Amino acid sequence: MTAAALPAIGDERERLLRRIADLRARHASVGMPGPAAVSAAAPAGLIDLGRRRAARYAEALATAVDGDVVETPRGRVVRVDRPSIAMAVDRSALASLPGQPPPDVPLVCLDTETTGLGTGTGTVAFLVGLGWWSGDRFRQAQLVLPDHADEPALLEAVRSALPDRAWLVTYNGRGFDWPLLVTRFRLGLSAPPALGGHLDLLPVVRALFRHRLTDARLRTVEAELLRLGRVGDVDGWEIPARYLGFLRDGNAGGLVEVIRHNHEDVRTLARLLVHLSTGLAARSRSPFVDPRDLAALGRALARAGRLDEAISCLEDAAAGIGAVRDERTPSAARPAAPAEPWWSPRVAADIGGPPRPTATSEDPARRGATAWTADRVDRERARVLRQAGRFAESAAAWRGVALAGGRAGALAWIEVAKLEEHRLRDPAAALEAVERAVAAGALLRARGLPIRGLDQDAARRRRRLLARLERRRLRGARPRGVADC
Amino acid sequence: MALRLYAPATTETVLESILAEPSLARGVVHHETIAARPPTFAPFPDWLGPGIRQGLAGRGIDQLYVHQAEAIGAVHAGEDVVVVTPTASGKSLCYTIPILQAIADDPAARALLLFPTKALGQDQVAEMSELARASALDIRAATYDGDTPAPIRHAIRTAGQIVVSNPDMLHSAILPHHTKWYQLFEQLRVIVIDELHTYRGVFGSHVANVVRRLLRICAHYGSHPVIVCCSATIGNPAELASTLTGRPARLVDRNGAPSGERHVLLVDPPILDRSTGARGSALTLANRWALPFLRAGRQTIVFGRARTAVEILLTGLREALREGFGPRSRIRGYRGGYLPTERRSIERGLRDGEVLGVVATNALELGVDIGRLDAAILAGYPGSIAATWQQIGRAGRRLETSAAVLVASQSPVDQYVIHHPEFLFGGRPEEARLDPDNLHVLLAHLRAAAFELPFEPGQRWGPLPADDLLAFLAEEGHVRQAADGRWYWSSENFPASEISLRVAAPENVVIVDTTPDRPRVLGEVDLFSAQVLVHERAIYIHESMQYYVDRLDWGEKKAYVHKVDVDHYTYANRAVTLKPLDVFGEAPATGGRRLHGEVMVASLVTLFKKLKFGTDENVGWGPIDLPELELQTTAYWLTAETTSGGWRRADLDVALLGAGRAIQTVAAVLLMVDPRDLGLVAQVRSPHQEHPTIYLYEAVPGGIGLSERLWDRHDELVTAADDLIAACTCDAGCPACTGPRLEPEVDAKALSRRLLAGLRP
Repeated sequence: MTAAALPAIGDERERLLRRIADLRARHASVGMPGPAAVSAAAPAGLIDLGRRRAARYAEALATAVDGDVVETPRGRVVRVDRPSIAMAVDRSALASLPGQPPPDVPLVCLDTETTGLGTGTGTVAFLVGLGWWSGDRFRQAQLVLPDHADEPALLEAVRSALPDRAWLVTYNGRGFDWPLLVTRFRLGLSAPPALGGHLDLLPVVRALFRHRLTDARLRTVEAELLRLGRVGDVDGWEIPARYLGFLRDGNAGGLVEVIRHNHEDVRTLARLLVHLSTGLAARSRSPFVDPRDLAALGRALARAGRLDEAISCLEDAAAGIGAVRDERTPSAARPAAPAEPWWSPRVAADIGGPPRPTATSEDPARRGATAWTADRVDRERARVLRQAGRFAESAAAWRGVALAGGRAGALAWIEVAKLEEHRLRDPAAALEAVERAVAAGALLRARGLPIRGLDQDAARRRRRLLARLERRRLRGARPRGVADC
Repeated sequence: MALRLYAPATTETVLESILAEPSLARGVVHHETIAARPPTFAPFPDWLGPGIRQGLAGRGIDQLYVHQAEAIGAVHAGEDVVVVTPTASGKSLCYTIPILQAIADDPAARALLLFPTKALGQDQVAEMSELARASALDIRAATYDGDTPAPIRHAIRTAGQIVVSNPDMLHSAILPHHTKWYQLFEQLRVIVIDELHTYRGVFGSHVANVVRRLLRICAHYGSHPVIVCCSATIGNPAELASTLTGRPARLVDRNGAPSGERHVLLVDPPILDRSTGARGSALTLANRWALPFLRAGRQTIVFGRARTAVEILLTGLREALREGFGPRSRIRGYRGGYLPTERRSIERGLRDGEVLGVVATNALELGVDIGRLDAAILAGYPGSIAATWQQIGRAGRRLETSAAVLVASQSPVDQYVIHHPEFLFGGRPEEARLDPDNLHVLLAHLRAAAFELPFEPGQRWGPLPADDLLAFLAEEGHVRQAADGRWYWSSENFPASEISLRVAAPENVVIVDTTPDRPRVLGEVDLFSAQVLVHERAIYIHESMQYYVDRLDWGEKKAYVHKVDVDHYTYANRAVTLKPLDVFGEAPATGGRRLHGEVMVASLVTLFKKLKFGTDENVGWGPIDLPELELQTTAYWLTAETTSGGWRRADLDVALLGAGRAIQTVAAVLLMVDPRDLGLVAQVRSPHQEHPTIYLYEAVPGGIGLSERLWDRHDELVTAADDLIAACTCDAGCPACTGPRLEPEVDAKALSRRLLAGLRP
């Protein structure tokens, strides 16, 4: 249907066109040459023109990025395949880590490049990088969208790349890549493919390696964890403009670096899996595993409810940290931390974009909370022991922590008191622990570091414990039979 | 004595005793008695399930009022309706019943309810859930607004059967993410737009475009929801509904709810000074009217126009009641800024009679349920006839007599309204106008729509195929036409975030209050208003607090202010030049011609005056250095051709301005707009018209269709303007009729009347 076919609105269209011309004149300073005004009167011819142009652009894109134009009934996709490389992942070792996929499901690594950072319906995933294993070989393919109109073809290609029961492996894919693709499928009124599961490595990296990363960006992880560097990489925030530029003028030169960037990102997902499965999964005291990573793993295992494994992991970590304590204190090993650590909920997630100003001041208290010091590992172990119901061991562990003194020591005595009173049923030992906590607290207060609420808490415990000891003394003094009547 | 003062009495008795008191009775300029009306019932429709029947019976409803039955039947049959009945006539049942039945029949069915404010939406959810529970239905209804916690948003998106939201949220959060709401859009059966009359002006024009986007998304998912609009009484509900939704709607306005006899009194405060026309305070008089009702134990609501007015009224009432040991603790205030829990407790108190009197702003004017009261006292005309009836409607028992009193202030609009009772009682309330095809608004939402879904070639957006507009957007790189001929969004930006539904111009000046330690944003004004409101050294008044403008950063679009307490305000002189660009309509009129069309208004502000409060005495001035602004908008203008001979030029100047001022006042009343929405330019020797011309232009870029309505009602405007000046009690022109007097010796009143006499049909 065209405007010309509707004479009733001819006048109105006239007026509208005049007003648009007016607007144009006033916006002239914006000055983008742009295509000549398109008339709706002859869309058929234009669409034909558009089709031919799109075919030309697709060819240019394929040539530039060394890929092939794949024609399908639903549109074209430019597909880039690379030779496979050897990259073995010990799947059963990987599966032994908390939250990891079972050993027998297919894994598909996925990373998208998009026309914007939002997940609204106007953001398009124009490049989908995929990676999967056949045996010990890791294969990669990239699907590039040559024109908006070809999106159905791209989405079909993504769908067929995801076998049944496949687990997706992504980095921040739960929050971004996958919802975005789901949106694209829904927009085309088709159901998104069903996944067997989704392994988002961002939270995994956060849980295990937070203590030695400056931020959580994939490139930082590559540099600081995998010890890899990239040369000539494109910054994430530049990517949308490069693609939109290609759509305008057909010049695909700017996309070559984008393709390489995405290729590296997908490969890094595989490398991360290798890192996890060979290093941590072995859980050995090998010199190649940072004992602090083991500590983080212990915590993660405890959270997954695998308490015995967690305890042994923490014990390994404690031993490892003890061995290196002298030469590698955490504060010396780490670069200056920003005022707010990157994982704090008050800090916006940093997943790329133009560099932000960094704060210079340090907050040692905060950093202390994340660094896996020997003391912190001991505390974690004591906590997990109690969680596992091994109360006597837990009490012993807390006593160990308490000996180190300081604030943590005072609080550790309270933990001992709780265990002795409620679990081990030894009010006398509990009372002693309370007194020690009070003494430690008094020392701290003298140094100007009072612990709020400690004395009140201790007083309450003391009263209760004294009463219990008194009752027990009275009961012990009388013959049992008498007490019964 | 005291005992007799506080003896309970019926509303009629109280009214009689007031009218017997000369000091109060003197001010009554009109007394209208509206007869009692019995209810008209209709049975439940056959298709209504036993569950809902039972639920309704549990709440004391065994049959429907006729308007409810008609609306419910139409909605069930898939017909769009607009329900227009007075306050507290059971409007919400008109959509609640068909929605609950639809979900009872098919749990996959969904409904979307839009309210202009969050509080109203939350009330409605509570009410619907209550009826659903009483009907033994398991229905998931939830509000989705800015306050909805993130964890439950997901649950509402996927499982919410009745989603209650507001247009802003729909615009910025739901539509741009419609794929996350596909369960809602695939099965959307009913869209409810409540408080329809609030969607007018620029806001309405925006919301009309949001509805266009909404219906486009529904069509994409294959759903064809029925639209139910509910409105307070306005002149053109069916037209407003069809402009807003783009579809015709069946008008349901046969009110079946009963009401007792009602007295409406229009009251004018006494004149204090004949030469200036100054009158006594409306607030004081309103309190004097309210006290006898309160002392007699009648539930009374007093409406003030602003927060401060509420506080002054409340203090006055409590003070007066304490003197006589009255029920002062049962008088409460109710306005924006009170906590929600506090408001809920006041509403409950009003319903169960615990609260005797309440002083409120129009926060209580919208559909908040407080039951029905005995008397309503309006301190000042609320600005529109529709709002007046909404406030008056708060008083009105089903069986007993009620009373409503409108106490005028001395503003020209107030004076006009109470001296022309036919406006209130003539059965012709104002029309609400909006222009969904305002080019600026249209383009802004076209961008958002293109972001949401690509456009097919030839697909319509508003009145026309969108291609021309899209081609225009393509030039700026926002969209592109792809190989399949469709138009796709092709920018990194998120267009919805660039549009605010509540203002027209995309660029605003943000007002920053630097008084507190942490500067806070006080508000925003559009560029055009910023010139006169927040230029440097201006006194900017916000919620009746005064702020001094320290600095206006025109480049950054920020004004920095701090709080002051001074005895004067500032008034900036705007030099306006106006140039007609295009004439849309032209016709002869008595004594000249009437026209409407597109104009370019250039506004330059060069100096401001400091005027003393109360006396408007000039106590100083200063220069303003700001660039000229241009506004392309629509205007209505009239020329005086046959009458222009035999006039001295200076007299004609005064006459044009005086007549123009009166027409502007009347136009604001007729069209239910703020007088500031219409600008006035009078030209003795118009470079474009050859004849003396009065222009009224719309202060919004592109206009919202007011000009055409003014053009249509030209005769009425001129007649009413003449009457307004004639009826004014001043000697030779005053702010209430011909505007502030510039030269004391000139008789603006006579000159304006002479001019209008020649134009009057």
